[in-house]
Amino acid sequence: MSDLFEQLATVVLEGESEESPVLVRKALDEGLSPKEILENGLIVGMNEVGVRFRRGDMFVPEVLMSAEAMQMGLDVLRPMLAESNVQMMGKVMLGTVKGDLHDIGKNLVGMMCEGAGFEVINLGFNVDPEVFVEAIKEHKPDIVGMSALLTTTMRAMGYTIKAIEEAGLRDSVKIIVGGAPVDQAFSERIGADGYGANAPGAADLCKQLVGAA
Amino acid sequence: MSSPEKLPVVILACQIFESMLADLLPEGLAGEITYFDYGLHRLPQNLQWTLQEAIDAIEQPSLVMVGYGLCGNGLDGIKARQHTLLIPKADDCITMLLGSHKAYMREFESEPGTYYLSKGWLESGSHPLKEYHEIAEKYGPEDADWIMDQQYQHYSRLALVAHKQEDLDKYRPEAEEVARYCERWGYRYEEILGSDAYVRRLVEVAAALDRADEDFVVVPPGGAISQQQFIR
Repeated sequence: MSDLFEQLATVVLEGESEESPVLVRKALDEGLSPKEILENGLIVGMNEVGVRFRRGDMFVPEVLMSAEAMQMGLDVLRPMLAESNVQMMGKVMLGTVKGDLHDIGKNLVGMMCEGAGFEVINLGFNVDPEVFVEAIKEHKPDIVGMSALLTTTMRAMGYTIKAIEEAGLRDSVKIIVGGAPVDQAFSERIGADGYGANAPGAADLCKQLVGAA
Repeated sequence: MSSPEKLPVVILACQIFESMLADLLPEGLAGEITYFDYGLHRLPQNLQWTLQEAIDAIEQPSLVMVGYGLCGNGLDGIKARQHTLLIPKADDCITMLLGSHKAYMREFESEPGTYYLSKGWLESGSHPLKEYHEIAEKYGPEDADWIMDQQYQHYSRLALVAHKQEDLDKYRPEAEEVARYCERWGYRYEEILGSDAYVRRLVEVAAALDRADEDFVVVPPGGAISQQQFIR
């Protein structure tokens, strides 16, 4: 039984996107619960991807393939997870800041947060501070996550937090940041509530911030 | 302690600076000059480690002209040790090729979805076409297409930047080859003629440190380079 979890984690780690849904279905047939399959198989695999990527042992192309493998597995599980009300952790809203077109990391965070039981709203990329503000008013997320890949654009994170403050919304959300040039010190300087070093780390941070971890 | 102007000048720079400095450096200003491989920025930790090692190897207290920008945070954390470090306050070499921070922000704000090409990046294979070939070799063309799309589909412009017209003319064929590949995402190909004005001023400031203004980061002995210093 645990062997299937290991196989699934490996399939994710190795980016075998065709194998992933096959193994997920096999696990379901053997009576394993969607939640277990998600947590002990798919998420374990992606956690390892996060570790290796941060270490410089895995690169973007491989991470993308792994993410696709997890996504294909998650697609099979999603309707069952919805049924069993696993998605009750809270609402996370994500966006790449103004001027920045990179979204792979942010999309990975979205997938990991979904896997962790959050409802995820993805604003896309090149998102103006004002758009973040309006979206917070509309969706009322628990957590707002900002991503930037360039040292040129990471400053927009500060402007966005300022805009959220000026709109009187700062206290209604937790703000987390991430992306290659971002670090803990930067996140503290701009007044964010947390920093995620990689996608699995960001999902764990979200769990902590809603008091669930 | 001798005043900074009297310190010997050492240059540690990315290869992108080589031709500009060859034209602009006055005779006798710099003692040792070392140019590093174009591709160091790919793994910013590599850049940090390489530069730190080079700085540590300089025997007498010197004014070290660091020919880099923040370069993906590659410079963050580098220690000056017994030296004074002089660095342009730029995110990367595109600013240096365009000639000013103002020019960079103008381009950046007018079209954030720009993939910049420079002579250095073409020569080091830091561009989508080269990347496609590397990935296709590993994963096959179909997966490679998908991987490249995920990373590059949002951009709209491919811009070749150089500080002189000759370089634009010389690198146009290679840049256009990359542009042809990038047509799959509908990129527009453009050429932007910059200037060597920023590098010119970097050289002036190296000769007279008191001329350093908000376009430069000066790190005194005992200090360290930090990402924060590059925020304008």
